[in-house]
Amino acid sequence: MAALKASKKRKAVTRDVEEETGVFSGDELNGGDLDGALSDNAHDLSISSDEDASDSEIELVDDFSDSEDDDGEELDSDEIPSDGEDKASPTTVNLQGPFKDNESSSEEEDEEQLNYRIEKDANGNDRYIYDEINPDDNSDYSDVDENTNTIGNIPLSFYDQYPHIGYDINGKKIMRPAKGEALDALLDSIEIPKGWTGLTDPSTGKPLELSQDELELLRKVQMNEIPEDGYNPYEPLLEWFTTEKEIMPISAAPEPKRRFVPSKHEAKRVMKIVKAIREGRILPYKPPTKEDEEDKDLIKFDLWADEAEHPNHPTHIPAPKLPPPGYEESYHPPPEYLPDKKERKAWEETDPEDREQDFLPQDFGSLRKVPGYETFVKEKFERCLDLYLAPRVRRSKLNIDPESLLPKLPSPEELKPFPTACAAVFRGHKGRVRSIAVDPTGIWIATGGDDGTVRVWELLTGRQLWSVKLADDDEPVNVVRWRPGKDAIVLAAAAGDEIFLAVPPMIADPETEQASLDLLDAGWGYAASKPAPKVADDEKKKSTPPQWVRPSAALADSGVCAVIPLRYIAKSISWHRRGDYFVTVCSGASTPASVAIAIHTVSKHLTQYPFRRRIKGGGPPQTAHFHPSKPILFVANQRTIRAYDLSRQLLVKIVQPGARWISSFDIHPTSSTAAGGDNIIVGSYDRRLLWHDLELSQRPYKTLRYHRKAIRAVKFHPGGRYPLFADASDDGSLQIFHGNVTGDMLSNATIVPLKVLKGHKITGELGVLDIDWHPREAWCVSAGADGTCRLWM
Amino acid sequence: MAKIKKKGTSGQAKNYITRTQAVRKLQISLPDFRRLCIFKGIYPREPRSKKKASKSATQNTTFYYTKDIQYLLHEPLLRKFRDQKALAKKIARSLGRGEVGDAARLEKNHSPKLTLDHVIKERYPTFIDALRDLDDALSLLFLFANLPSTNHVPPKTIALCQRLCHEFQHYLITTNSLRKSFLSIKGIYYQATIQGQDIMWLVPYRFVQRVNGDVDYRIMATFVEFYTTLLGFVNFRLYSSLGLRYPPKFDTRSDENGAELAAFTLEGRTVGDPPKAIEAGNKQSSNANQEVSREVQDKVDKVIKNAQLDQASEQVAETTEEATDAIDKFEPAAPEADTLPQPDLSGDQAGSLFAPFTFYISREAPKAPLEFILRAFGCKRIGWDTVLGDGAFTNNEADPRITHQIVDRPALPESSLPAIPAASEDGAVQKVRPGTRIPGRTYVQPQWIWDCINEGKLLRPDLYAPGATLPPHLSPWVKPKKGGYDPRASLAEQEEEGEAEAAAEAEDSDEEMAEAAEDKPAAADSESEEEEDEDESVDGGMDVAGTDDDDESEEEEEAEADFAGFEEADAGSESEDEEETVRTQHQKELEAEAAGLPFSGGNASAAKKKSQTKKIASKKRQEEEELDRQKMMMSRKKRKLLEKMMYSNKKQAEESAKLRSKRRRLEKGGGN
Repeated sequence: MAALKASKKRKAVTRDVEEETGVFSGDELNGGDLDGALSDNAHDLSISSDEDASDSEIELVDDFSDSEDDDGEELDSDEIPSDGEDKASPTTVNLQGPFKDNESSSEEEDEEQLNYRIEKDANGNDRYIYDEINPDDNSDYSDVDENTNTIGNIPLSFYDQYPHIGYDINGKKIMRPAKGEALDALLDSIEIPKGWTGLTDPSTGKPLELSQDELELLRKVQMNEIPEDGYNPYEPLLEWFTTEKEIMPISAAPEPKRRFVPSKHEAKRVMKIVKAIREGRILPYKPPTKEDEEDKDLIKFDLWADEAEHPNHPTHIPAPKLPPPGYEESYHPPPEYLPDKKERKAWEETDPEDREQDFLPQDFGSLRKVPGYETFVKEKFERCLDLYLAPRVRRSKLNIDPESLLPKLPSPEELKPFPTACAAVFRGHKGRVRSIAVDPTGIWIATGGDDGTVRVWELLTGRQLWSVKLADDDEPVNVVRWRPGKDAIVLAAAAGDEIFLAVPPMIADPETEQASLDLLDAGWGYAASKPAPKVADDEKKKSTPPQWVRPSAALADSGVCAVIPLRYIAKSISWHRRGDYFVTVCSGASTPASVAIAIHTVSKHLTQYPFRRRIKGGGPPQTAHFHPSKPILFVANQRTIRAYDLSRQLLVKIVQPGARWISSFDIHPTSSTAAGGDNIIVGSYDRRLLWHDLELSQRPYKTLRYHRKAIRAVKFHPGGRYPLFADASDDGSLQIFHGNVTGDMLSNATIVPLKVLKGHKITGELGVLDIDWHPREAWCVSAGADGTCRLWM
Repeated sequence: MAKIKKKGTSGQAKNYITRTQAVRKLQISLPDFRRLCIFKGIYPREPRSKKKASKSATQNTTFYYTKDIQYLLHEPLLRKFRDQKALAKKIARSLGRGEVGDAARLEKNHSPKLTLDHVIKERYPTFIDALRDLDDALSLLFLFANLPSTNHVPPKTIALCQRLCHEFQHYLITTNSLRKSFLSIKGIYYQATIQGQDIMWLVPYRFVQRVNGDVDYRIMATFVEFYTTLLGFVNFRLYSSLGLRYPPKFDTRSDENGAELAAFTLEGRTVGDPPKAIEAGNKQSSNANQEVSREVQDKVDKVIKNAQLDQASEQVAETTEEATDAIDKFEPAAPEADTLPQPDLSGDQAGSLFAPFTFYISREAPKAPLEFILRAFGCKRIGWDTVLGDGAFTNNEADPRITHQIVDRPALPESSLPAIPAASEDGAVQKVRPGTRIPGRTYVQPQWIWDCINEGKLLRPDLYAPGATLPPHLSPWVKPKKGGYDPRASLAEQEEEGEAEAAAEAEDSDEEMAEAAEDKPAAADSESEEEEDEDESVDGGMDVAGTDDDDESEEEEEAEADFAGFEEADAGSESEDEEETVRTQHQKELEAEAAGLPFSGGNASAAKKKSQTKKIASKKRQEEEELDRQKMMMSRKKRKLLEKMMYSNKKQAEESAKLRSKRRRLEKGGGN
C-alpha cells in the first residue's frame, strides 16, 4: 500500500524526481520508495530491489496489522505536511511520504478496516486518500511494466534523432539509455555476460539478454527435446476401447445369406448390359468418321413438309430489303450520271457518313476493265450488323401524291363568269372615292368622294353623266346608294350630317325620271298633313325625328329633291328591297345611341328612330341592312350583329363573328327563301372575312384571312344569279369568291376563292374603300382611295 | 381515391428490356446472346419514349421487347450454349493440367452440335416466307463462296457455300426462273422469281476481296451458319418440288478442274436408276473425253426433262399453236388512265431466249456469270477456252457449230488480224489466235447478254460488236416515274414545257443566230426539196413552222393564236401586244400567200420563240396562282403536310432537271 501511496504522491507532485528515475525498472522504483521507508541515508538501489522482491508479502501483512496507530499518526503527521506542503519544496514532500510510509509499515496492525487515510486538502476539508492497489504476483494480470515502451510496432530508428526512444504507459518519455563510451562497448564485447545475445530489445532499447531458463528452453528446442519440464512422453497406455476380441458375439442371430452370396440384382444389371452389347444396342464409343461429318451438312428432309400458316406477331417487322440498284450504279452508266469535277470534289470532301451515295458513279466502258469493289465485304458486314443490331421502327412514309391533298375545288373555268380583269377606270374625283353603287338597271354607277361631289357615270363607257357638289370640300360624301327597283332612279347620298335624295336629271328616259320625281314629291303632302311634332320638351328634342326639307335652289336645280338633316354624320345607307324605306347609321362615337339608327320612309317623308337605347356590347352601331325577304333588320355594332324583327319589335338573333371591329356585312340575297337559311358575310377591320350560316351557329362557318390589311367592304352578288361575293381591302386588292349556297340542309355552303384583283393604288394607307356588283352581269365596281373607280369584268 | 400507380410497373417500362438486362436474364455471355439473336432473328426495338422505357439515364441503350427475351428463355439452343461453356471449362482444365490429348478428345467428341432446323421452321413457318427472306442469305453466301480461306473463314465453310450456291443456280437454270441481271460497279445483281417471290442478290466480281480490319468475321460466320442451313432446306424443297434428287451428284474431280456449275449432275428421283446407270457408264468416258461427257450429259438432261416436264413441254406446244392463250399486252389508249402492272416474261419465254444458239466464251470474258445466265435463258451449248475450266460444250474456238462468240477485247484493225484457219474436219481442238474473226458467227461483247435478258428479246448485236462503244447499261429495276429522269426516253419527251427554250436562251445567243441563218436558206428552197427540209427542221430541234407546208402551218398558227388570246385574256396589256404581233404575222402570211411567195418565218421565229417562252411563263404563273388558290382553302396542318411532300417532290424534280441539263449539254457538245 505504501508503495502505491507513494506512487500516487509522486504522480501528483514529484515530477522531476520521477523523470530522473523513469529509466529504472518498476521494481526498482518500488524499491526506491521502500528504500526511503527503510532508511534515510542511501539510495542504494540494488539492495532495495532485492529487499523489495523478498518481503513484499510480509509487508502486506504489516499493512493489515495496524491501522489505528497509523491513523492517529497520520493525523498528526498530516498537520505537519499541510503546512509543509504550503511552503516546502517538492523535495521535502518527497521525503515526507517515505516517512509516513515508514511509520505505517512499522506498525502493522488492523489495516483491514481502513485502507484509506484522511488528509486535509487545500480548503481544509477532509480528503480520503486510498491506498493504491498493488497487483502482486498473485494477480491474474501479467505485470504490466510501467516502463514498457508503448510506441508499438514501429522501428526504433524513428527515434534516432531524439533523446528519448518512446513513451511509457504514462506517456512519459523513455530516455535513451546512456550508451557507454567506445571503451565500455569494447569492454562489453570482451566480457560477454551470460545470456548476452548482441541484440537490442526493441521494446526497451536495451541490449537483449536472455535468462537462464530461456536459454535452457532454447537449447531444448534446438535439441529437439520436449521443451516443457516434467512432461513424460512415455506414459502408460490407457485403453479406452479394448483391443482384444470378445469371444462371445453381441447378437446370437445367424449371419444372413446375402453376406456371402453374390448379388442377383447386380448380375441382372450386368446381364442387361451384356445383352444390349450383344444386340448392338450399346455400342462402344467410336469417334465419327469424316464422311459422317460431311453428311451432317446435307439436308435430308423437307422442313416444310407439313407447313402451316403461322402469322407473325403483329409487332414483328421484317427486315427491309435492300433497294435495287439505280442507273448510277451501272458499270457503264449513261454519261449524264457521271459526276463532274465539282460533284466529285464535293463527294470526296464530305464525310463518309454524310454521303448520300457510298460510291461515285464510274464509267468503265467495257466489262473487262471493271475492278473488284473495294468495300464489298465491309458493306455486307454492315448489312449483317443492321440486321441484328439496328432497331426496326415502322415508319409510315407519305407516299401519296401531294395533289390528292389539295381540296377538290371546282376549277375557275367551271365557275366562270367572274370578274377577272379591269375593264374601265373612272377618273374624275379629287381625293378618295368613298362609296360606289351600281343602279338597279345596271347602266350607271354613282360615286361619292372626299371632294364632296356625287357623280353618276355610264358604266360601260366610263363617261361622267352627272355631278353635284353636295357639301364643302371638307365634308366628304360618305355613302351613295341607289334605290332598288327599276321604276325609278333615286339616289340617296350621305354627305356631312345630311342625307340627300336626288334624281339625277337627263340620264334616264323622261318617264322614269318623272316617276322618280313623283315618288319623292308624294311625301311632301303627307308630311304637311301630318301634325307637327311637339318640340316642347327639351329632353325630347334630341330624339325628335328630323323634318325633311327641300334643298337649296342650287341643289334643286341639279336634281336633289329632298334633304334630311340628321344632325349626325351617317356612314351607312341601306335600302329596303321594296324601295320605300332605307336605314341610315351614324356610327360616330359622339352620336347618341337613340338617334344613331334611323329608318326613313320615302313615301311619307318620315324619319323614325327605332332604337331608344344603346345596343349592348360592342360599341356604337356600324352598319345596318334589311333582310332581303323578311321584316328583319340586321344591325352590326363593332363586335356583334343583331337581328331585330321589326313587326314584332323583338331581338331575333345575335351573331358573333368574333371579329374585333366589324366594318361591313352583307346578307345572302336568297336567304330564308326556299333555298336554305340565312347566310351572312362579315368583313372586319382585323383582316377577317367571315361566313356565317345562321342555321348552323352563331359562330362563323368559315373564317378567311387572305388580306394583309383591313377589309373595308363585302358584298354578295345581288339577285342570286351568280354565287359570287367580293371583298375590298386596304391592301389595294379585291378578292372574288365563289360561295354557293345549296338548297338542302345537309350540305354546307361551298366557298371557293377565285380571283385576286389588283389595280387600285394604296394612298395614305387606304386601298379599296367600297365595292358593288352589277345586278345582272358578273361584273363588279370598286372605289379606291386613289381617286379612281374601276369596273372589273 | 384511386390507388396510386407505382412507377415502372406497367407500360413501356415493362415492355422493354435493355440488352444488359436481357443478357443477365438469359444467363449467357454477350457473344452467345448475339449469336442467339442472329439465329432467332431478334432485333432491338425503338421504344416510343426512351425515357419511359429506361430506368437509367444512359442515352445509348439498346432495347428489346421483354416478350422476345422471355421467348428466348425456352430456346433449346440456350442449353447447347451452356453445354459449350461447360465443355470449354473442361478443355481449359485439361489444358491447364497439360493433358493435351484429353482436351483434343473432348473438343472432338463432346462439342455440342447446333442444329438450327427448328429455328428455321419457327422463323419461316411456310416455304414462301423462307423465299421472301432469301435476298440477304444469297448475297452473303455468294460472297463467302468467293472468299479466300483464312483462319477466320475455314475452307469447309467456303466449300459448303459454293456447293449450296451452285445447287441453287442449277435450280434456276432448270426452271428458267432467272429474270434480270445487272452489271454494277459493285458486282452483278441477279433477280429470280420463284413461286411468285422476287429474289435479288448481289455476286461480287471475282477478285480477291479486300478485307479491312473493322470486319468481325465471327458475326458474319454466325449469319453464314444460319443461312447455309436455310439455303440447304430451301434447295432441298426446290429440288424435290421438281422431282430431282437432292443433293445432286457432285463430281469432285471435275470441280477441281474448274467446272463450277458443270460439276453437278441433276438426277431425277422417280427415274432414279436409269440416269444413274448412264452416269456410271459415263464416268469412265468422262475422264477420257470431256466433250463426249457433256453431250451425254445433255442427253441425260433431255431425258430427265422429258420424263419430268412432259406436261410443261406440252403446254409450250399448245401455246405455240394457240396464240390466244398468251397474255396480251395492254396498252392504255388514253394517257390519263391508270396502268395496271402486267406480268413480264414468263419462264417459257425466258427459257427460249438463247435456246437456238451455241455460244463460245472467250478467255477474257467472265465465264461463271455468263454460263449461268446463258443456261438460265435456255442455252444448252456453251463452249469456252480450256483455261476457263472443265465442262464446256466445246473447247474448240473454230467449231463451226458456234453461232455467237462473246469477246471482251478491243477491236484490232482488220489487216493486223491473222488469217482465218481452215475449219478442220477431224474436230481436234485447234488453236485460234486471239482476235481472229471467224466468219459465220456473231461477235458480241458480254453486255449484249445482259441487255438482251433485261429487255426480254434479242437486241441488235452490231451495237455490241467488239471494240464498239457500248450503249449505256441500264438498271432493269428503275421504273420511270412521273417527274423522274429516264435516260431511255429522249430529252424532248421529258423536258418540261419551255425548259429547253429557257436553257437555250440562257446560253449564248450567237449560236441561235447561226442556226437561224442556217434555216433561212433552207427555207428559201423548201419547195424544191421538201423532204430534206423536213429532215433539217427535225435536226435543228426548233419548230420552224414556216418551213412546213403553208396550209398546215397557217392552221396551226391560227389555232395557236386563238388559244393564246384566250389564255392571255387576263394578263393585261402584255397579251394585247402579243395578240397584235400574232395578228400582224398572220396578216403577213396572208399577204405572202396572195403573192404566191413562200412565207419565211425566219424573222418571226425569234419573236415567236420569245412569245412562246412568255406564254409558258404566264402559264406557269397561272398554275402557281391556282395552287395558291387551292392552298388557301386547306387547313394549316394539311398545308404543312403538303409543303413537306412538295419538298421531296421538288428535290426529285431538281435532280432530274440537273440530269436533263447535263444531257442537254452533252448532246449539244456531241451534236455540234
